[in-house]
Amino acid sequence: MRTLVLGLGNELAGDDAVGVLVARAVRKNVSGAADVVETSASGLALLEIFAGYDRAVVVDSVRTGRNPPGTVTELGLDEVGRVVAPSLHHAGLPELAAVAERLGLGFPAETRVLAVEVLDPYTMGTKLSEPVASAVDELARRVRDQVERWASEDGG
Amino acid sequence: MSVEILIDPITRLEGHGKIHIFLDDTGGVDRAFLQIPELRGFEKFVEGRRAEDMPQITSRICGVCPTAHHMAATKALDDLYQVDPPPAAKKIRELVYSIFMVEDHALHFFFLGGPDFVVGPAAPKAERNVLGVIGKVGLEVGKEVIAVRKELRELMAQIAGRAIHPVFGLPGGVSRALSPELQPELAAAAARAVEFGTFALGVFRDVVLSSSEYVDLITSEAYTHRTYYMGLVDRANKVAFYDGTLRVVDPDGLEFLAFDPEDYLDHIAEHVEPWSYMKFCFLKDVGWKGFTDGSESGVYGVAPLARLNTAEGMATPRAQEAYEEFFSTLGGKPVHYTLANHWARIVELLYAAERMAELAADPELLSPDVRTLPVATPEEGIGVVEAPRGTLIHHYRTDERGLVTEANLIVATQNNAARIAMSVDKAARRLITGGEMDEGLLNQVEMAFRAYDPCYGCATHSLPGQMPLIVQIHDPDGDVLREIRRD
Repeated sequence: MRTLVLGLGNELAGDDAVGVLVARAVRKNVSGAADVVETSASGLALLEIFAGYDRAVVVDSVRTGRNPPGTVTELGLDEVGRVVAPSLHHAGLPELAAVAERLGLGFPAETRVLAVEVLDPYTMGTKLSEPVASAVDELARRVRDQVERWASEDGG
Repeated sequence: MSVEILIDPITRLEGHGKIHIFLDDTGGVDRAFLQIPELRGFEKFVEGRRAEDMPQITSRICGVCPTAHHMAATKALDDLYQVDPPPAAKKIRELVYSIFMVEDHALHFFFLGGPDFVVGPAAPKAERNVLGVIGKVGLEVGKEVIAVRKELRELMAQIAGRAIHPVFGLPGGVSRALSPELQPELAAAAARAVEFGTFALGVFRDVVLSSSEYVDLITSEAYTHRTYYMGLVDRANKVAFYDGTLRVVDPDGLEFLAFDPEDYLDHIAEHVEPWSYMKFCFLKDVGWKGFTDGSESGVYGVAPLARLNTAEGMATPRAQEAYEEFFSTLGGKPVHYTLANHWARIVELLYAAERMAELAADPELLSPDVRTLPVATPEEGIGVVEAPRGTLIHHYRTDERGLVTEANLIVATQNNAARIAMSVDKAARRLITGGEMDEGLLNQVEMAFRAYDPCYGCATHSLPGQMPLIVQIHDPDGDVLREIRRD
């Protein structure tokens, strides 16, 4: 069974970097048990990244305005709102999974999304805001835990 | 948690585009415009950084067209250090750029424009998406789009380093020569791309041109603006993506200006409106006359349609045929129909593929001489390319050590900003009268700006182009009467 850890974000866009930074933080700890990929790509460009994996943990930033910055939310793929989108830029994870299935490209059967509420992803800079920076350790821990859980399910 | 929290790669940052529609006293449209999220602080961020790092930094500000930024920045460094790259280096750069144009245009034609044209504007909302397009064109075609793109991206990675953020452009050349083993692979990929481009044109002919309903839509007044157009052309005034002269044609299609890209500030100025942080580019030589078309207004367009209008043809045979068919079908030059951008995009795709084949067969491509070392003291550099979405300008000033003191980017969507605003306004006016709003508003207004292949993120300097949409209707006092959201 192959596991992917995917950190999404733009490392130059303030808090948007968080997914990428978490990917870097866990890279060493999960080596052997998962492949770690960081990218600023979005939409259909992610199809190639997911292909060939059985399971994935995605770390991403989100701004709902409903939770304090730094709040981590965990969702399964079926809990992520299905987006009917007219644009490729808007292709979301469930739609990606549907496209992958239709085209026989392969998509992880199980995908967990760790989303962290961010404060400011709109100002260029390489520094995270305080609340988001302090969520990095928790995110990294949860990614590691998930990868280990899956590894032990495989009979580790 | 509620399903309203959308963590898709898409809505990750709630980068909502917002269409504001202001009504007048009679319930008609007073003004409508589009507002998009802004990535702040680019100029400040790059201040004091090494100019050599700009191709890497700028290619990271946007996940959608990093190759265009990388190339414009690299060309700006050539200019900054007053160094002319060896012919092989220029050819390798253009080859990479052609590959990028093929894969970007292919994806966008099928999966961005596809929902509007392949599936159709009248199709149920639930089908107007990528899955709907695949359903219409067939699984094999869907697979081919993905496969061609994958092959091209892998080739780019082999030539230029990483596919997403190439690291190979240097002032005066590229970081490495092309490996001879790659040439057969390149030739094969180019042949496949040419075939794919030809096929895409066939799809357009079969699905779109055979339908009088689609043709009427493309040519309808609602999606027409008689503006100036700008784009890079080669010495024979043919469409060029990587390098050339900036040519501007007037609304009658006649050459109005042709200038060295380094002189862009003499011809392009930016207009500011109190209601938008976006700056609206216009032609200085004509002047800003408001959001209006015609030869008295300095508003101009960029992107595929503009490039075809600006040039006198395509430099490769099949693309030239497609170019001629385009204009003869749509009533001659210039074509002012915004929705024709989708067709123009595949004419360009075919050109990029044919150009790729030409370059792949060029023996000079394999020359080990790929770098001219810069020796001049840096001061100022300007680099221009045609990004998939239109003219992209990078302009840096540095101190004598090459540290950036000032940077200015004009991206495609800024060049197009006024025309896009006009398109949104025109669509809204057509749909709203007496305060009554057509429910089809969202899609019809969106179609008006989607034809530009908008990458709003980078228009305001970044954000990987995701744009859920909010429409707000305001009464004459500016209060919000109604809001429609589409995540």
